[in-house]
Amino acid sequence: MPEVSRQAVVEKGAQLADDVKVGPFVYIGSCVRIGPGCVIDSGATVTGQTVIGAKCRIFPLAVVGSAPDGSDQMGTCTIGQANTIREHVTINAGCDEPTQIGDDNLIMIGCLVGAGARIASHCVLNNCTQINPGARIDDYVWTSAFTSVLPGGSVGAYTFLVGYTGVETDAPPFAMVQGYPFRVRGVNSERLRRCGFGDDDIRALKEAFRQLYNGSADQINEPALRKMQDRKDLNPHVVRLIEHIQAGLAKRQSK
Amino acid sequence: MSVSLTVMREIAPSARVAPDAVIGPYCVIGPRVTIGPGTVLTRRIIINGHTIIGSANRIEEGCILGTSPQDLKYSGFPTVLIIGHHNHLGPRVTAHIGTEFGGYLTRIGDNNVLLDGCHVAHDCYVEDRATLGKNVLLGGHVLIETGAVMEDQAAAHQFTTIGCFSRVLARTPVRRDVPPFTRFGSLYGSKQPSVVGIHEQGINSAALSQSEEKELRHALQEVFDDESALQTKIEQLVNMGVEGAAAVLCEFCQRSLQGVFGRYNELYRGQMPPQALKYLPPEVLALIRRQTP
Repeated sequence: MPEVSRQAVVEKGAQLADDVKVGPFVYIGSCVRIGPGCVIDSGATVTGQTVIGAKCRIFPLAVVGSAPDGSDQMGTCTIGQANTIREHVTINAGCDEPTQIGDDNLIMIGCLVGAGARIASHCVLNNCTQINPGARIDDYVWTSAFTSVLPGGSVGAYTFLVGYTGVETDAPPFAMVQGYPFRVRGVNSERLRRCGFGDDDIRALKEAFRQLYNGSADQINEPALRKMQDRKDLNPHVVRLIEHIQAGLAKRQSK
Repeated sequence: MSVSLTVMREIAPSARVAPDAVIGPYCVIGPRVTIGPGTVLTRRIIINGHTIIGSANRIEEGCILGTSPQDLKYSGFPTVLIIGHHNHLGPRVTAHIGTEFGGYLTRIGDNNVLLDGCHVAHDCYVEDRATLGKNVLLGGHVLIETGAVMEDQAAAHQFTTIGCFSRVLARTPVRRDVPPFTRFGSLYGSKQPSVVGIHEQGINSAALSQSEEKELRHALQEVFDDESALQTKIEQLVNMGVEGAAAVLCEFCQRSLQGVFGRYNELYRGQMPPQALKYLPPEVLALIRRQTP
């Protein structure tokens, strides 16, 4: 039997795994499914068609699966395993497409994850990060305080967003990104090293960034990009970087 | 469904709550919490962990105090959060307990005002009479000295110190120590923030004697007119034999220059900072001594 405080409200139809702990004044809606080992702390709310994987922790007064601002439809929200969702976080459920959160993320105090946003795995979103509706966050992204990814924006894998940054288009992977409109400040080498990238990979990425960017995200050096595409001996991570940039450019041209 | 008129709240039986403390509806008080006399908890406040709250504080809706630190290295040691007397914590303020590698203690002193949504992270020390504006974020291990002011949405990097009677302007990312009695900020977002002037109200509220104030103003002018060759200028001042507030300023700047990237407290990374030993309650000190041979 799940351990539910007698002061909590769990609607009929909610499916709670056997060892789920639910604190006082929690509200759990009728279409919610919560996996084993989860802890829902005091005063949190889980509503909508929300599925939460195993071993997630939801801290006090967080709201998961609520309808986005200006809407009263019930949306869907899928949250993977071992996520930590801290105090005062809001995760809206998506109506047209589901809000998706992968595994092993840490979402810190006061963050917002908008409807239909997609967050991959192993990310850390620092306090007050705003992931707006429809934004995409790749694996191993770290953000600082007060950053925001605007609707339709995306952040590539292993990228670090410096405090107060706003990403309105596509932030490349492996980068350190700052400002609004953002600029690429360099390679996130410390994080890459911790994730097991070799010195050769980091050197290759540094060289690629030096050629591709003139310090600004909107000024990708296109001749250099074309020249790099033709090379056959590229590092696989640089290939991934180029593919990400090309996809971003194609998306912008089609608009 | 029947409607109950009894006020809903959950106070653990072992929590020590003073008889005249006011605990509003929907509050949750954990088992190792102490709440002093005259403290008012309005509504929907959640206090966990080993949290000691002094007397005559006002804590408003949605505050969450004493939850575990947002540090990936934290492994569950029963560390402490201490809040002194006469503080005002606005709505949605969060404060975390300390970590075992950062001094076991987070402390908020006396007579502080923390407005909506402030976050006091693990191992932070807020001394007395500080004001933190809306949504101010303190990273871990930050020291806010007496009378400092941080305006709305300012954020402090880990291990920074905000000097006494200084003022951090709105939306400023503080990445290095802020010297006492100065205004610190960047007028345009992209520029690296720095000292932008003297904090007049700070000097007023420090209630200095006339000669002390004159000396301080001279020192501030001398040091921050332009920030080049800071070290030599401060050494010159120290050699001249400054006293009082000016000496505090010089000492602070010298310490910052010793530190890593202008952050003195970074030298205490992974160690017990001196403030921790001063404020830790004896039973916790005993527990620490037992656990670490």
